[in-house]
Amino acid sequence: MEIHQVLVAASPGDAITNAALDLRDLLRDVCPSEVYARFYDARVADEVRPLREFRHRQAAHPEDNILIFHASIGEPEVFTFLQERPERLVIVHHNISPAEPFLPYDPAFAGLLDGGRRELAALARRAELALADSRFNAHDLLSLGYRNVRVAPLILDVDRLQRVEPHEPTVHHLDENVKGPVALFVGQLLPHKRPDFLIQAYHALVTYLEPDTHLIVVGASRLPRYATAIDLLVKELNLPRAWLAGRVSDGQLSAFYRRADLFFTASEHEGFCAPLLEAMAFRVPVLARSFAAIPETVGDAGVLLPADAGPLMAGEAMAELIGNDRLRAGLVARGDERVRHFNLERARTAVLGHLLEML
Amino acid sequence: MDVSEDRAPDVNALIDALRSRVEDRRRSGAYPPDLEEELAAHFQRISLHRMVPNLDDLQSAMEELGRRAQFAMERTPVDSRVPGGQSLHRALAKLQSRQVVGVLAQVNHFADALLQVLGLMVAALENPNSHVHSDLVGQIDSVFERVAGYERAPLSAAEAVADLRHRVEELEAQERRRTFNPWFSNARFADEFRGTRAELLERYRDAAARFVGHGPVLDIGCGAGEFLQLLAEQGVEARGVELDADLVADVQRLGLKAEVGDGLAALKAVPDESLGGVVLNQVIEHLSQQEVVDLVLVAFDKLRPGGLMVCETVNPQSLYVYARSFYVDPTHVRPVHPAYLAFVFREAGFESVEIDWRSPPPEEEVLAVAGGDGPEAMIHDANVARVNQLLFAPQEFALIATR
Repeated sequence: MEIHQVLVAASPGDAITNAALDLRDLLRDVCPSEVYARFYDARVADEVRPLREFRHRQAAHPEDNILIFHASIGEPEVFTFLQERPERLVIVHHNISPAEPFLPYDPAFAGLLDGGRRELAALARRAELALADSRFNAHDLLSLGYRNVRVAPLILDVDRLQRVEPHEPTVHHLDENVKGPVALFVGQLLPHKRPDFLIQAYHALVTYLEPDTHLIVVGASRLPRYATAIDLLVKELNLPRAWLAGRVSDGQLSAFYRRADLFFTASEHEGFCAPLLEAMAFRVPVLARSFAAIPETVGDAGVLLPADAGPLMAGEAMAELIGNDRLRAGLVARGDERVRHFNLERARTAVLGHLLEML
Repeated sequence: MDVSEDRAPDVNALIDALRSRVEDRRRSGAYPPDLEEELAAHFQRISLHRMVPNLDDLQSAMEELGRRAQFAMERTPVDSRVPGGQSLHRALAKLQSRQVVGVLAQVNHFADALLQVLGLMVAALENPNSHVHSDLVGQIDSVFERVAGYERAPLSAAEAVADLRHRVEELEAQERRRTFNPWFSNARFADEFRGTRAELLERYRDAAARFVGHGPVLDIGCGAGEFLQLLAEQGVEARGVELDADLVADVQRLGLKAEVGDGLAALKAVPDESLGGVVLNQVIEHLSQQEVVDLVLVAFDKLRPGGLMVCETVNPQSLYVYARSFYVDPTHVRPVHPAYLAFVFREAGFESVEIDWRSPPPEEEVLAVAGGDGPEAMIHDANVARVNQLLFAPQEFALIATR
């Protein structure tokens, strides 16, 4: 018997790629196990194999083997592959971003996301087991027609970045040039993550409440037009202390987390949202909005703004988190507990347990 | 998937506090109205409607151009369907090769130069500084900074403006109370209530005589110029100052010197110790307390030693005044007590200060005494005298001060 995993795309630092590689190492104690991806970054070429190679794999009884598909976006070729293969199929649902916010910027990409949901629904009949890393995602799977749905936490090494040496020039730059409180956001610059909301809230904060606050936004955008618009918004609101850092190395990210006074995501759609836990691991108080799986991930260890709260209220909340030491201390302490709750061993045991039930 | 029960109670309280904080700031005007809506609309404009030049396409077109701009003789086809044509082409080409190679070299040279120019132009397009004037960008930045500054301090600015507005309104109200611009003429008013010119001339004749040898005299509030006329008759050099331009014109028609203006300002304008006399007839009851004390001190400075100042006004010690005359003139502010006025003059440094009581009420108004030797009659008459003193004291007094 063999258990392999299939991803649409793999890249270094990506939470799903990391989870797949971690699970592969565990499975290798039991049976042959590989991670296949349709697209992958050259930096993970040693770890991930191209999906096309899979066809050349010789197996005596392929119908005894298991394929685990990590669903996060649509891809016609991967879908056809999964439909046609004889292996038993397990779906791990990381959630697919909603297509609608992407429509104005990249209709083709929005089409892929829409297609991803249709493909996921079509795979429901094939899948023997579906794992969701949040109750939010589990509900989503049930609504797509899945039957055997289990919640298993994301295999996430929350402390991974803690072990990364902070990038020295970045630390130096932060020490020398960044005076005053720092608010941090980590996530891709995509419409459903609402970086525009984040910047508007920050604008209210520095204009009316805490003028010395800095904002660091970490994350790349695959939508050039949207990224340009975010860039223009920062310039036109005259926010010289806002820093759109783009894609950064783990060392830089580690330096940012260490320096941050608060973590704020304005995202309206998350299947899990790993950066929230990373921030807690760095003992940074967390502010987020009550959307999708975010309340599950944050628990009581952060300030959750109601969905109807606008940028002004978010700005007020940032000011409170900066100035209220008792609140900060309380959130950091609860964050410690939250991080313990999402520990790596528990997640590994849960996922393995569900897979073993199939054997 | 309701998770609100997971939230710790203090975080719930915090959310409520934040919500009301936003509401309070909205109401107070600290947050401009519709700020959130405007921010959202602004981002919509930027992200959905603003043109973004597609420089990537331009770059790849440049690369394609670079690949094609290689000219060589070998790329010229020499095929021919005519028998032996191909050899003929080659032979002709060989014959022309020197010229062709020379032309090709020039074409290649030109193409390289052209590509370089195009490359520079694309690079310039990518860099906004090259086609947006850097001074302009700097100016826009400073405007943004100033606007942000105003936005940052909306509370204090709004409060300061409200405070200023309030103070201006108060000052305007005070000014309205102070100024009085009746549509009737002051001359008509004076005719009705102050007596005829002949009566006034008669009344002030003795007072004017005091100023002989005390020229030049400044008559503050000279009215229709009766006192100036008397001074002129006595040969005393004098001029008047008066707020009412019509009255001043009348005075000037009489050949007397007078000008329109404020008394205190006119007094301040003359050199120190240059006046022999200052006259203030029926003036100080029209002034504020501050103006009275200022006027006395400035007059002291402007009078030369031995100079004379006469200040006639209503007598607040006579209650009859209030019943009969004081409130007839709507521009009277308050009467000045002779004891107080004498004190002010002495404090200013005047050498001698005396009071001359004037205009006793008419005999027929005063309470009559019984006359008689009986003790009851005597007590009655003493009481009447006391009442008369209180009610019917002289209506005016003149303070006569010498520097």
